[in-house]
Amino acid sequence: MSKRRVAITGIGLVTPVGNDVASTWDALLAGRSGGAPITIFDASGFPVRIAAEVKGFRSDVIGDRKLLKFTTRSHRFALAAADQALADARIRPTAEDATRWGCAVGAGMMTSEYDDLTVTHDYSALEGELDAAKLLTDPAANDPMIFCRSQATAGISLITKRYGIRGYATSVHTACASGGQALGTGLKLIRRGAADRVLAGGFDSMISPIGIGGFCLLFDATRNGFLLGEGAGFLVLEEWESARKRGAKIYAELAGDGNSLSSYRITDSPPDGDGPIQSMRASLADAGVMPSEVDYLNAHGTSTGMNDRSETAATRAVFGDHVDKVSVSSTKSSMGHLIAAAGAVEVVVCALAIDRGEMPVNANYKTPDPDCNLNLIVGAPRRQRVRVAMSNSFGFGGSNSSVVLRHPEEVDGKPGQTH
Amino acid sequence: MAKPKIVVTGSGAVCAAGMDPAAVLASVRSGKTSVAPIRQWDTTGWPTHDAGEVADFNARALVEDRKLHKLIRRTDLFGLYAAGRAIASSGILAHRDQLDDATVAAYNDRTGVYVGSGGGNYQNQYDYFPLMTTARGSLPAFGEELANTVNPMWLLRTLPNNVLGHIGIQHRLKGPNACITNHSVGGTLAVIEATEALRNGEADRAVAVGHDAPIEPQMVLYYQRMGLIASSALLPFDARHDGSLFGEGAGALMLETEASAAERGVTPLGEILGGGYACEAEGLVAIRDDGDGVARAITAALEDAELRPSDVGMIVAHANGTQQSDISEAAAIRSVFGTGSNAPPVTGFKWAFGHLIAAAGIVDMTIALAALAIDEVPALATLGDVDPACAGLAISSKPQKPRNKVALIICRGFAGTNAALLLRGS
Repeated sequence: MSKRRVAITGIGLVTPVGNDVASTWDALLAGRSGGAPITIFDASGFPVRIAAEVKGFRSDVIGDRKLLKFTTRSHRFALAAADQALADARIRPTAEDATRWGCAVGAGMMTSEYDDLTVTHDYSALEGELDAAKLLTDPAANDPMIFCRSQATAGISLITKRYGIRGYATSVHTACASGGQALGTGLKLIRRGAADRVLAGGFDSMISPIGIGGFCLLFDATRNGFLLGEGAGFLVLEEWESARKRGAKIYAELAGDGNSLSSYRITDSPPDGDGPIQSMRASLADAGVMPSEVDYLNAHGTSTGMNDRSETAATRAVFGDHVDKVSVSSTKSSMGHLIAAAGAVEVVVCALAIDRGEMPVNANYKTPDPDCNLNLIVGAPRRQRVRVAMSNSFGFGGSNSSVVLRHPEEVDGKPGQTH
Repeated sequence: MAKPKIVVTGSGAVCAAGMDPAAVLASVRSGKTSVAPIRQWDTTGWPTHDAGEVADFNARALVEDRKLHKLIRRTDLFGLYAAGRAIASSGILAHRDQLDDATVAAYNDRTGVYVGSGGGNYQNQYDYFPLMTTARGSLPAFGEELANTVNPMWLLRTLPNNVLGHIGIQHRLKGPNACITNHSVGGTLAVIEATEALRNGEADRAVAVGHDAPIEPQMVLYYQRMGLIASSALLPFDARHDGSLFGEGAGALMLETEASAAERGVTPLGEILGGGYACEAEGLVAIRDDGDGVARAITAALEDAELRPSDVGMIVAHANGTQQSDISEAAAIRSVFGTGSNAPPVTGFKWAFGHLIAAAGIVDMTIALAALAIDEVPALATLGDVDPACAGLAISSKPQKPRNKVALIICRGFAGTNAALLLRGS
């Protein structure tokens, strides 16, 4: 039995280096960093004062003020990126096929926003502890908008209603692996026939006193490298034959998904790469791809020492003799870490690498680390036809997600754009 | 082409009605609700007072490792407990102990973990309140005092996927996995996705879990203000139904391929036959009156299981006690199963221990399996006069007989999501 294949026919991005696909791609090729002093709030007293914020984002691109009241910052990124992806794919759900459309998103872990939490503190917990009786008249605790936007399913409720998606809609969260797992879910929904088209992606923003505070508390403040980002990435996934039939532009095949648990520590993978090895191998097997066919690896590459060493060991184990022929970059070096959005944004990067035949640089690379001896793309982007690309995302909690993409010509001998 | 058979070899549950599926079923059959006055805070002056809290809540009894308690939340304790019971009762750990090292590694890689998690809560963020008091509205002061005031493990405690990560670490399971934060359908989707992974050959066995702990002041108040909370009791399909009440807890099932279960020679508790899913896309809380999403989810589950409506032996309805959900659910059941004397008996369990949100569907599955084993459709004990808008369902305040061993479990959540699961009991 032949598997139903899945085509990527639309992409959308809102990232710290650009509010759409074109500007983000230019910045990634140039290795421009999205990191800068935090402007969203006064971070002058925080151990970390740098982050990769989305810049110059205009909420009016997604609609009226009434809708915006039901959204957090990350929801607005999600709606903008999803709008872009659907416009790019030149297709939208209709009354006839709405039930055959699915939606799979990786959503962030933040509940109420700092400003809303402040209202409740000042009204119901001024001395530091909640007085439940005061909550009854607390303006934030009685505001249905705050309730709606603080729910874990707020994102899919906004998205499914906006586009009229009436099939399988799901929200997943495996921390930094969320976006990759959402795309894996989308792939499987189409393969098993539960949907013909899926709007899939991830969105997050933890650049707030609470989010940044949480990371500062957890990590040694002196630890280098971890740059928190924010944003969203969305893709339109379609059953391959129907995408070809309607003459859609196909960026790449979403060819394989693999996931595993490291079951080592909540925040780390083991130094020998156990865990990531299994997710990478599973994704290749799922795609029916040999390690020697892979030309580009978009690494998880958070640049925290433990993760980079573990991922390097895993990459060497999986690719063996071919490892030096795999071009590797972590685009987190430019965009920062978009947490629940990271996996989705980086799959878009892989789709672009295949479509454009060009791979973005690993920015800010100065001193080689002997423990991270991979064929890194340093200095300038690499122009090369990419047959197969892999994107890795490894999350707190130990979930590892690897996603494999294949060049359209490797699937049916035809270019992505047939006319 | 026949789909591979997926069997259930272990189960676990915890909620106000008991600490395992048998105890919960016994409590349901007693006809007495475990919903009681809330003890976690003083509800004097509140518009609502009752919920299904886990009685004699004891963190050590749920998760023995005390060090872990600082890293996880109340909801995670429930999830880890139920998952542990499902895994242990299946016998896979004892079996693994007899294998050689290389085989153990492969066994762990071929064992998946699928979790439906309630996601974030409000109370956890209150850890920042003392800092806000100290900072007096100054963000620079907030930043400077951060490390002196807030639990350094705050971010880890916040992770919605803690149960997934810690099940893996505790039991050394390393296979395919998911953490589904999809409100009330999360636990049911964990079962559906685990089943698909096993059918697809991604793993040989997987534990599926759903867990939640929504009983906290701010959550209860929001639901009350949204008109979702009952004025006194949770009375599904009853003429007096006017809302739902929260419960808390977790449910878990150990799922395996037939071959994996046969390796140990165990007799399965049941079989997962199929699942279906549909979204109504009306917004976060709004649902359609005609039951469209529920009906489509049931139909999809029947197609997936290759069954006809007449093959269903009993229905465990979502039955959450809100008028809009009960009435639209009844419409959906009528549209798929008709109203004739052949329509399968219908029941629901939320009246007995409250609405467990992300854990609701999967706890219902554990009870349904236990009920099928004694060939009984437990009574909807609170049922008085049926709401005329819910007429035509085979519901009763007395126990009924299932028509056969196949149960349909219906589950509905925010964002207009609906899931349906078909299982066969033993």
